[in-house]
Amino acid sequence: MSALLSLVRIGAGYGANEVLRGVSLDVAEGSLTAIIGPNGHGKTTLLRAISGLVPLTAGAISFAGRPLMTLRPDEIVAAGIVHVPQGDLLFPEMSVIDNLQMGAYLPDAAKQMRARLDEVFALLPKLKERRSQIASTLSGGERRMVGIGRGLMAGGRLLMLDEPSLGLAPILIDQIYDVIWELTRAGRTILVVEENAARIADKAAQVALLDNGQFAWTGQGAELMARPKILETYLGA
Amino acid sequence: MSIGAVSIGAASSVRRDLILGGVLIALAILVPLLTGTRYIVTQTTLFFIWAIVVTQWNLVLGVGGIFSLAQMALFAVGAYATAMLGYYFHMPMVLAMLLAGIATVLVSVLIGLACLRLRGPYVALLTLAVAQVMYLLVANDTECFTNPESGCMPLFGGIRGFTRFGDLGFRALFGSKFYVGHYYVGLGLLALATAFSVAIIRGPAGLAFQALRDNPGYAVSRGISRFKYQLWVFGLSAFFTGLAGAFYAVNFAAVGPIVFSISVLLFLLSMIVVGGIGTVWGPLLGAALLMLADEAMREVGDWRDIGLGLILAGFVVLLPKGLAGLRLSWGRRPSQAPGDIPGA
Amino acid sequence: MDVLIQIIASGLTLGAMYAVSTIGLALVYGSLNMLNMAHGALLALGGYVCWYAMATLGLHPLLGVAAAMIVCGAVGLVIYCAAAQPMLGSANFETQIFIATIGIGAIIENVILRLFGPQPTPQPLNLTGALVIGNVHIPHQNLLILGVALGLMAALALLLRHSRLGRAIRATAQNREAAQLMGVRVGFVYAQVLALSGALAAISGIMISSLSGLLPNMGGDPMLKAFIICVVAGLGNVYGAVAAAIVLGLLEAATQYVLGVRYSFAILLLLVIAVLIWRPYGLFGRKQVVRL
Repeated sequence: MSALLSLVRIGAGYGANEVLRGVSLDVAEGSLTAIIGPNGHGKTTLLRAISGLVPLTAGAISFAGRPLMTLRPDEIVAAGIVHVPQGDLLFPEMSVIDNLQMGAYLPDAAKQMRARLDEVFALLPKLKERRSQIASTLSGGERRMVGIGRGLMAGGRLLMLDEPSLGLAPILIDQIYDVIWELTRAGRTILVVEENAARIADKAAQVALLDNGQFAWTGQGAELMARPKILETYLGA
Repeated sequence: MSIGAVSIGAASSVRRDLILGGVLIALAILVPLLTGTRYIVTQTTLFFIWAIVVTQWNLVLGVGGIFSLAQMALFAVGAYATAMLGYYFHMPMVLAMLLAGIATVLVSVLIGLACLRLRGPYVALLTLAVAQVMYLLVANDTECFTNPESGCMPLFGGIRGFTRFGDLGFRALFGSKFYVGHYYVGLGLLALATAFSVAIIRGPAGLAFQALRDNPGYAVSRGISRFKYQLWVFGLSAFFTGLAGAFYAVNFAAVGPIVFSISVLLFLLSMIVVGGIGTVWGPLLGAALLMLADEAMREVGDWRDIGLGLILAGFVVLLPKGLAGLRLSWGRRPSQAPGDIPGA
Repeated sequence: MDVLIQIIASGLTLGAMYAVSTIGLALVYGSLNMLNMAHGALLALGGYVCWYAMATLGLHPLLGVAAAMIVCGAVGLVIYCAAAQPMLGSANFETQIFIATIGIGAIIENVILRLFGPQPTPQPLNLTGALVIGNVHIPHQNLLILGVALGLMAALALLLRHSRLGRAIRATAQNREAAQLMGVRVGFVYAQVLALSGALAAISGIMISSLSGLLPNMGGDPMLKAFIICVVAGLGNVYGAVAAAIVLGLLEAATQYVLGVRYSFAILLLLVIAVLIWRPYGLFGRKQVVRL
């Protein structure tokens, strides 16, 4: 079965600064893939290259058989890739519900607005409580939930999460990951970027270790956990 | 950034500047001796005047990073101060010019105190507004301050401006060739202004500004106060700008609100954009080219401002670093020496 | 007392005219971080197109206004495509587009000068007569201007709050990348904002010229004042800009009455500088976020 998302030796960066080199990855439909690695080595750039925010300097990306390299970010969203960015990037002057509704901006998603809102509120009841609150006044954990909820509103075939546990207290991280497991169980294809391998590695079907802009190791999650040496070398864990 | 490497880089740049400057001055000295045409000499004198303004404006914009559109207003202050000192107090022109330069510095410090704490676009809008208000106050003044035989004379000259306020004495000395005297005065002023410009760009102030641009947090933590440095540059560059205005008044023996016009602002802005903001020789190159282009467009007078607008917009969109910037990007290798301060 | 009412009436009219302009400028700055210095030229262009449509082509006033809006909207679009879009990614975008639009403004103004000449022309879209209450004369034209401005602002508020384009504009202004990740085609949004701003400039230009006549360079001062208003409110804050426009309109009317027309801009400027020394980001400003 061919992969839903396929990266073939991609290169990407910012101006003269080449961050990713020769990166290849296949993501199967319905699976959970984790990209781990030390900070500053290109994990965020990788997601941004997929969602079109950063142009490719080399290689090819295809999604459901369709090449993405010539598409604009908004077209890539329309194709079914939803990127929940690092740092949330909420619309600060809009309320929680306005932010969520922006998630369903595209016509296909907008048609399901009501139903999706109900789903998101069921999954993240805190958001329902605070639906009229202005985003810039939310706490870190609440902001994270809005970001993820906004991503869920878009629907999409591939959901990409950039460091969902960043800056959160452990109890909140638990809550966030409960949501992620829920989504995985429901069969969604998810790509997660995390600095900390521990949380995600054993549940993930595929783990890829990004070091210095290249994949130093890929394989099954359970395998990685069984090799503490690798973890130590790259993550000092 | 190692200080050693920086000073070596700066020193060789200064040497290059001195050589280039020397050659240009020598050439310029020869021009009136080689050509008999009055027109060429007087137009070149005008070029000197605009070149002074543009090199100083370049310091403000390109080095200080201050987006000020008040340059023409400061020029006007110098011009008007000279004319008024001559007209009302019959002051000798050399003294008047000097005082006018100082007056311009004072005005610029006032403007700077009001505007410099603000960010880029705010400064641009505010300085533009200050210039416009000054124009309105001068041009729309209809109250007669004095009443000589020539008619009602408002305090700042009103819409007609000032004439017959004195001159530098070249007419008495050289008769009909007085404009040659003006030529050399203009050249001298330009040489001084350019030397000042080089000193700022290649010297410690230039470094400080480079630091502020490259790494503002670090610069501030090392005690470089953006506001203080900007105020200094703004004020000092105003001296030569005012002097240029003063010389303009004396050279043409007339001053009027036309110096505030958008047309002139457009012209000078084009010079800077075409030449290249922030470089030493860019503004001069731009000034020369625009004066030549202006000559060419003289035939199609009506289209002049349209032509200028096209040049301005075209260059900003297509060649934002100006012509000097072109040379920079060719000459630069991927790993840049730490001492490379923008300079052609 | 009558004098006071007179001043308030003129002040509100002035404020209303500025507010229409200011909204366009605030939207453009809030979305693109762009100070459109060609706005003044667009004001003049709108006034002239309306006059041409009515006086030379004999069209109905509403068609004249529509023509002006379309032409100026189109020019706004051209400004986006030719100048803003090519430079969007560059580090010095704010400065570069500022200078580029100064050039474009000069081009437009001089084209008007070439086409229509330098003589002042009265704007035909002008209601005669006045509302008389006791000793107070409020010209019908002023009431029309006020009415149109209020209607326009209400329509814009609706557009921004409830329409899909409005949400896209707000989202893009608040966080461009996030908007892209929601599927917003930001390039389109920018183009539409500039076109909208052009159309608003046309209306503003028609209103201003109906009171003070048409001249090719008529847009310079109103544009500068509109920008100053935006700066006082805090660049990008649309509601704040409207409020500031009305206050400054009232102030201008009051100063004109007390000190004469000559000093009103100067006093305005001094006040603005004072405000900015107190609040460098403007009265309601925080960052470049369109607060809608």
